[in-house]
Amino acid sequence: MNVTTRPLIPWIAIAALATGGCERAEPTRVQSDQPVHGGTLVYATDREPTCLDPHVAGDMPQVFLAQQYLDSLVSMDADGHIGPWLATRWDVSADGLHYTFHLRHDVRFTDGTPFNAAALKANLDHITDPKTQSSTAGGYIRQYRGTQVLDEYTAVVELATPYAAFLEVLAQGFLGMQSPTALARSREANCESPVGSGPFKVVRWERQSRVLLARNPDYDWAPPTARHQGPAYLDGITWTFMQEPSVRFASLQAGEVDVIEALPPESHEAARRNPDVELIIAQRPGNPTNGTFNIRRAPFDDVRVREAFVRSADVEGALKSVYFGEFPRAGGPLSAATPFYSPDFEHVQDYDPARAAQLLDQAGWTGRDAQGYRTKHGKRLQVTVLIGTRTPPSEQTLWEQVQATTRQVGFDLVLEQMSDTQTTARQAAWDYDIRLGYWNTNTPDVLRIIFGSAFIQPAGVGGYHQNTAGYSDAGFDALMDSALATQDPQQRRARYLRAQQQAAAQYLQLVTYPQSTRLGVYRTAHGVRLESSLAVTSLYDAWVTP
Amino acid sequence: MTAFNTTSDTRALRRERLAALGRRAGIRLLGGLLVLWAVATLTFFALRLMPGDPVLAILGGASGNPTPETLEATRQEYGLDKPLAVQYVAYLGRLLQGDLGASYTQHMPVTRVLAEQGGATFELTIASLLLAWVLVLLLTVLTAGRGRLVGGLASLAETVSAALPHFWLGIVLLAVFAFGLRWFPPAGSDSLAALVLPAFSLAIPLAGFIAQVTRESLELTLEQPFVLTARTRGLSDLAVRFRHALRHALLPGISLSGWAIGALMSGAVVCEVIFSRRGIGRQLYQAVIAQDMPLVIGISLVVAAVYVLANIGVDLLYLWIDPRQQEQPR
Repeated sequence: MNVTTRPLIPWIAIAALATGGCERAEPTRVQSDQPVHGGTLVYATDREPTCLDPHVAGDMPQVFLAQQYLDSLVSMDADGHIGPWLATRWDVSADGLHYTFHLRHDVRFTDGTPFNAAALKANLDHITDPKTQSSTAGGYIRQYRGTQVLDEYTAVVELATPYAAFLEVLAQGFLGMQSPTALARSREANCESPVGSGPFKVVRWERQSRVLLARNPDYDWAPPTARHQGPAYLDGITWTFMQEPSVRFASLQAGEVDVIEALPPESHEAARRNPDVELIIAQRPGNPTNGTFNIRRAPFDDVRVREAFVRSADVEGALKSVYFGEFPRAGGPLSAATPFYSPDFEHVQDYDPARAAQLLDQAGWTGRDAQGYRTKHGKRLQVTVLIGTRTPPSEQTLWEQVQATTRQVGFDLVLEQMSDTQTTARQAAWDYDIRLGYWNTNTPDVLRIIFGSAFIQPAGVGGYHQNTAGYSDAGFDALMDSALATQDPQQRRARYLRAQQQAAAQYLQLVTYPQSTRLGVYRTAHGVRLESSLAVTSLYDAWVTP
Repeated sequence: MTAFNTTSDTRALRRERLAALGRRAGIRLLGGLLVLWAVATLTFFALRLMPGDPVLAILGGASGNPTPETLEATRQEYGLDKPLAVQYVAYLGRLLQGDLGASYTQHMPVTRVLAEQGGATFELTIASLLLAWVLVLLLTVLTAGRGRLVGGLASLAETVSAALPHFWLGIVLLAVFAFGLRWFPPAGSDSLAALVLPAFSLAIPLAGFIAQVTRESLELTLEQPFVLTARTRGLSDLAVRFRHALRHALLPGISLSGWAIGALMSGAVVCEVIFSRRGIGRQLYQAVIAQDMPLVIGISLVVAAVYVLANIGVDLLYLWIDPRQQEQPR
């Protein structure tokens, strides 16, 4: 998903709050490695999902909640290896089109429905049914043809084309397994109270306030990535929505909540100094935060101009001032947490204004106008970046800094502000030079979606394409397809290395920083961890102490 | 003239007054309906004429990854494949039957969203208005006409509070009373204690506004001859202020309160975000961002209806406080 989050108002009064609630607490962290049963953990996050069923739409807040009450077919560990979960093992046919899943026999959804081959079929059918309105999960398994139930606990999934990333996306909470009985209800009902087989179940959703989750006492099928087996330690979770970052952090410091998500970067330092607060930060896999160049029109149709723009942007400096040095620079097309990521391309985007000037000279942008911008045949070197309503203010500041540094070599970068629907319309019309975005997913196959020529076509009548760069290269397409056609990790690694190399050499994006999950954990909460497929919070192993 | 005749005259007069009052209320209600229709129409077209495909808005804006089949199914489900005029007429027809449609983003009927979220905003608005009036009465009645220094200081306080932005005040109240002193919870909408800070953050600036006009008219009133008369009858200073002068001085403040309902609703947007409260203000903000048309229209209609009703209410309150107004229609 490449959704950007946006705090409503960028408060300045954060400092006043950050010092607020420290008087009372004596910093004696209870060293309790022994899990405690019982108690309720209060979790505060910024955005409320619009539907608790992650099959529908598919935005990050949905998967964070769903991870607590849905199990996935397979699991993914920190090294990117796919392991068993609800499926104990699987075989892939030689042509890569048939996946035979052997399922656990002992799994029940919290409504009593057993998990079996028919349930797997119902879930995949549900995800791909247009009526489900699935953007993320449905988009990831477009190759899905159908499922054949061989026996109670064996199912064969048929794909239209080889898709080695299938197992990876199945590990994402977006494709979590739900009770077929519950899925048979209306979309509205299932959004309100989805039923899974996970360690917790949804009790009640009080809109714009909180979601109450209770322990599933029968839970006995934790993935191998979990630290314990059996039911969760917590009696329940109160999942609250606090939109305002400074309020969320102050609530954590005051111990009003046990865990907060989306810890604002300006609070990292205060959090580190607070002995009552622990930080958990992990990068998310996928395509890092970036500005993608539209290479279908001048001046970014010239790779030299693209590289010149990248080289003239002092992103490191901008990150330091905007995010207080808390966000690392990303350089390559994949974030470091992505399977088959190669660090070889981390420095291809380093700040080098001298090289930028040289490249622009070579590309013929040698003139200068009265304001000092470069020109070619009397035309100014001007590029436009679209800033939508949902673009976070800090992101905009970052691009203002890019504007300042690229100007020094002669670029006129225009930040054009508009509504999100307008950006969509401009996107559809290819009327932009730079589009901001990111894409969180646990497979390098993301490069096929954002740079593959099949995705230049609009996804449908909406006229919206996902290959924002407009990059079209038969060799690259073939490379991406060949990476999907093999299950051999060594071959996949080699092919994805070439893909990263090619994408990096084309300078299709100015990559800024990797997306990350940033939790603040108060001393009352223990065992909180992030799972590996999307760096999503898992509270299965968590417990609370007073 | 006999006593009998006087009573009959009074009755006739009262009946006539009631009839006038009814006519007035009827006309206002009719006007109110017109306003509601205008609101529904304006929001409908404003949202539909915004660039961008509503189907993409439904499916999560530019961020979604919908398949062509999903787009087509959604378009048909919401009737977006029909011409705009047809959609508008169908929409008005449903409105007349009290059907506000289903929210794209909330995946539930708009009426249910309103039922779940409206109460909290209503609670906050009423609490803020009452609190504002308590502050106004305390500040003005006790300090008006008490010499330049007291009056000047109070007046300064009013000007400053009227200028305070809700969000700044909210953050300060949170820092001091929720995180510092820990008297009130920083978030939530279920307890009375959680209502205190948001209500204050809305009431203080509003009280500043109302107090400014009330002070001015109270000071004018205190110079009126009838106040002097009351004083010569031996009434205490406070009694004169509360029982006699106030009734005259309240009118501008009351008519401002009708406007204040609208202002409070817009203030609620910010307030509900800061204090993590449920409510239709915060919901409206989300709905506009997501281009969730049925929800935006539904909330706008409710806010407009409350505004219209509040102003009719203020009108009637006027008549009750100042019977002289009742003579005017004749």
